[in-house]
Amino acid sequence: MSHNGDLVVSGAPAAAPVIRVNGVSRWFGAVVAVSEVTFDIMPGITGLLGPNGAGKTTLLRMMTGLAATSTGTVTVFGEPVRDNPPLYRRIGVMSEHETVYGFMKGREFVTMMGRLRGIPNLEAAVDHAIGLVDLADAQHRSMETYSRGMRQRMRLAGALVHDPEILILDEPLNGADPRQRVHFKHLLQQLATEGRTIVLSSHILEEVEQVADTVLLVVNGKLAAAGGFRAIRAALNQRPYHVRVICDSPRRLAAAVVALDSVDAVHVDPDGAIVVLSRNVLDLQIELPKLARSETITLRRVEPLDDSLESVFGYLVEN
Amino acid sequence: MLSIYQLTLRQLSGRARLLILVVLAVMPVVTAALLLAESGTDSVSDFDIGVLSAGLFGSILPLVVLAIAASAFANEIEDRTLANLTLSPVPRWRIALPKLLASITIAGPLIALSAFLTAHIGFLGEWKATIAVTVSAIAAVVMYASLFIWLGLKSPQAVGVGLLYIVLWEGFFAGFITGVRMLSIRYYAIALMHGLDERRFVDYDHLSMTAAVVMTALVIGGFFFLSVRRLRRMDVP
Repeated sequence: MSHNGDLVVSGAPAAAPVIRVNGVSRWFGAVVAVSEVTFDIMPGITGLLGPNGAGKTTLLRMMTGLAATSTGTVTVFGEPVRDNPPLYRRIGVMSEHETVYGFMKGREFVTMMGRLRGIPNLEAAVDHAIGLVDLADAQHRSMETYSRGMRQRMRLAGALVHDPEILILDEPLNGADPRQRVHFKHLLQQLATEGRTIVLSSHILEEVEQVADTVLLVVNGKLAAAGGFRAIRAALNQRPYHVRVICDSPRRLAAAVVALDSVDAVHVDPDGAIVVLSRNVLDLQIELPKLARSETITLRRVEPLDDSLESVFGYLVEN
Repeated sequence: MLSIYQLTLRQLSGRARLLILVVLAVMPVVTAALLLAESGTDSVSDFDIGVLSAGLFGSILPLVVLAIAASAFANEIEDRTLANLTLSPVPRWRIALPKLLASITIAGPLIALSAFLTAHIGFLGEWKATIAVTVSAIAAVVMYASLFIWLGLKSPQAVGVGLLYIVLWEGFFAGFITGVRMLSIRYYAIALMHGLDERRFVDYDHLSMTAAVVMTALVIGGFFFLSVRRLRRMDVP
């Protein structure tokens, strides 16, 4: 993967990229949604990760040709994706919007999507796509009776029916229950092992971590980091964390905890809680309970103060 | 193309909407019958202007087509389902054409029947006049449908803008500014009617039949072209 982000984790690809985003910006009036983003996407699963409003959806819309770029180019298999309908034979897209044709049955929807893409053996393809998302039992029901998760899965079947080489999914796990999430992750992995290129967006770190080989971190419309998930995760773990600790003897614990190697600074809040600044939060997780036990201090609560994606991304951008 | 046509028919044929449109389409027929019952005190010219121009061609016809055609794309944009169609590997004209045809399929028969019955009653069963009114009404349906399909793609306030066009431009300005009529679908349709039956709207300044046919083709083709271009260039939500 190559890119222009602030944190480079992996090297340049040897093969030609499937999707190439080159110097792309997009603004709406005075608002810059995406700014000078460059990256390549190769076969496998790529996660587009970022907080809400980071520009993920705008990026995905430009990658699918649904939206124009203000500057820069997006190519898919070496061709411009914008105003290039024949390319959609090779791309399946599931947008973030959950609206469906409520008057249609699930099977009707997938059949229509297949027919629009002009696929041969339509009935067999529809059966296969609905089977993949495990909705055969509900395929003859009106889509307005579906749960949110079922709608998402049937929309995914619509995106898969023409057996696309590229699958672009915007927040696909919205509304999915835990069982559906597990099924979805297995499905994506299966599709990826067949050589497909899958791009999925999410604002939830763990969601992407579990499926994606490669991660693109987007913050404030910019590419903050790109590469393998483990390397990015390691980089995240080395950033300073604030951890709030509530215990029965805060001053004694503060005096003891400041001696730990994993701790950079400690202060006691007026409400009696200790706030610890650590650059090695993994070690702190292990050392803090040991210390409390040895000092016979009871820990009532330990919580990260800045574990939100925004703070993680903020750190990456600042550094 | 058949899939989009069938989809649009289902989207546009909601029971409540159709009921309102049928009531609208019946109004000129009832008005013609009432005028006839009033012992024929109104002249043919009054019928032309009052029932055909102001009633059928001036309000009922464009309102019915507006309600249908403007929704053909506008509903998809509002529901954010348009991407299902635009992300398919078909030329954009094969998306716009079935939308236009579906709008005409719903509005056309309704208006054609209304125009036929209104003229048949008003002109006491005279076929030439009845056919002139019916044919020009069908042409008007296709022209308005092409315009409002494009408007539905172009503006989130398509119905409001369409109403302004019908009420202000065609209904008000065209009433006393002759030049405005040269840019008015309603008056192209009336010119067609006059061309098919020269006794209709004898007091009006008309385009020639040839010019009316050319303008009809230009409106239909022009706005269809604009719809296709819009589909190619717009950001699809």
